[in-house]
Amino acid sequence: MTDADISNPRAYKDELIEQATRGGALVAGVADVEAFHMAPEGHRPTDLLPGARAVFVVGGAQPRAADWRSPNAEHMETTSTSDRISALALKLCHYVERKFGYYALLNPPGVDRGGQPFMSLSLAAELAGCGTRSLAGPILNREYGFMYYAALITTLPLPVDGLAQESVCPAPECLSMWEAEGTTPCLAVCPIDNGGCLGGRLENGKIVDSQYDRARCTIRTNGNWVPGFQKALGLALDEPDGERRKMILNSTMFTRTLWSMTYSNVSQAQCFECMRVCPVGATHRNLN
Amino acid sequence: MAAKQADQPPREDDLTSTIKSLALKAGGDVVGVAPVARWDEFVPEGYRPYDILPGAKSVVVVGTRGPTMGAWKCPDARLMEVNGYDFANDRAIHVVANHIETETGLYAMQAPTLPVAGHQPLMSMMLAAVLAGLGTRSFAANIILNPKYGLLYYSAAITTAELMPDGMLEQQVCPAPMCVATYRNIGKTPCMAACPADEGGCLDGSIDGDGRIEEVYYDRERCSTRSMNFGINSFQKALAEIIEEQDSERRSAMINSDFFTRSCTSMGHFKESVAQCFECMRVCPIGRAERKLQ
Repeated sequence: MTDADISNPRAYKDELIEQATRGGALVAGVADVEAFHMAPEGHRPTDLLPGARAVFVVGGAQPRAADWRSPNAEHMETTSTSDRISALALKLCHYVERKFGYYALLNPPGVDRGGQPFMSLSLAAELAGCGTRSLAGPILNREYGFMYYAALITTLPLPVDGLAQESVCPAPECLSMWEAEGTTPCLAVCPIDNGGCLGGRLENGKIVDSQYDRARCTIRTNGNWVPGFQKALGLALDEPDGERRKMILNSTMFTRTLWSMTYSNVSQAQCFECMRVCPVGATHRNLN
Repeated sequence: MAAKQADQPPREDDLTSTIKSLALKAGGDVVGVAPVARWDEFVPEGYRPYDILPGAKSVVVVGTRGPTMGAWKCPDARLMEVNGYDFANDRAIHVVANHIETETGLYAMQAPTLPVAGHQPLMSMMLAAVLAGLGTRSFAANIILNPKYGLLYYSAAITTAELMPDGMLEQQVCPAPMCVATYRNIGKTPCMAACPADEGGCLDGSIDGDGRIEEVYYDRERCSTRSMNFGINSFQKALAEIIEEQDSERRSAMINSDFFTRSCTSMGHFKESVAQCFECMRVCPIGRAERKLQ
């Protein structure tokens, strides 16, 4: 068992944060299980682990600065996944159970029935104070901007961080752009009223309205993963001409859908444009 | 990088001890060693460790616990279907094999476990675990139970290194005393009661007067259709039905259904392809103490 003082939950938390940081996490925070009341029944931490007392969230493993610099968009489509941060969270689960003697389970990445996650990682990251929701959708960390998150649900009592006091989005640069042009970098790169996915409005420096066309975004960001495979398979089977069907099955598009399902084995997106223009965390993406 | 050529071969007990420490440090919960000759009695020629690696002398077997104890507690069975397995045993075995090759100049490889023809693996990890003294077969689908942890996931390394072997377990892990008592009362052990073959389940068997396994019945086909609903098998089944369907609208609905989506996901998220039913193990008392936390 641990050297941490059992009567001092702070000590457990410090030890966990140290392990998380050592494993590559850039941020970590604790969410109160009671704060998940806005999540649908069946998708709250206590639904998944009866007696759960805390949700420990880790963030990091985002595309590297060099990844963002690559002019080849396909590069980031194939290399950016949440595998590393999920693996770290699972390692922390084992650490909690074997070192501290409390139950811990990894909230599975990706989605389950009906395209719904077991527990929303965005909500968990927000409630753990790791970041806040953005006009573009992702939870933005104040320091690093876009990153991948993973969460473990545990019966270990941990001091709660709770919601961040101030919203990360809009950044000052985006606010200036809004005042000058009536749009932000992310809204401008993918405008909902011009065939894109994002819309919204700022007032007094805050988000007062946001629109996100999830269906449209999905067909663009998941072009090569399971949805891409399903679409290509449907087209191939609908094709009456044997030669053309063979061409579809051997096409680059179909080949890439198979690679993306097996090699990049967690549901990940293949469009990063709204995040590419986001100024939050940009200092970490600009190197020599 | 070239392997270090030792001036003289390491003592087999030193090397064995180093390998075991490495395996445990790399995430293994248990580790055992078996000499390759132990396979001769159980496995047909062509499928023994030295048929896979010529000159092989030993097999190192590592077992890991798989699902977290928190995952066992989750009332949503689907969660463990997705989160059951983390490949820790594979990682540990690669650490072992790398150490043997780089530090001793002897050969070591991960034992092949996936089926290459039919449903037969090139090498059975269940048998390897038994021969390395890590567990014994159980009533529950023949799963190898370790005396301390119960269900474990196993990987093995075949090597030309001569290692100190572990003895095989002399006492059967299954049935546990509590299961013998249950059997005497109701004619079934907890695992048989959870999945009785005579009521549409997969398990049956009997215990002799000495409290040992007398006979085991396991309906493998029935079990696999229940425990492997998502993975390569379900994908193949669904694909055959999709191709057979003549109506384009219905075919599109099948392709975009939750079931097919999850089958595709499970192939990518390979962890699901192991098994999706844990009920016989959920009621097994072996290793329960290790699963009981705060």
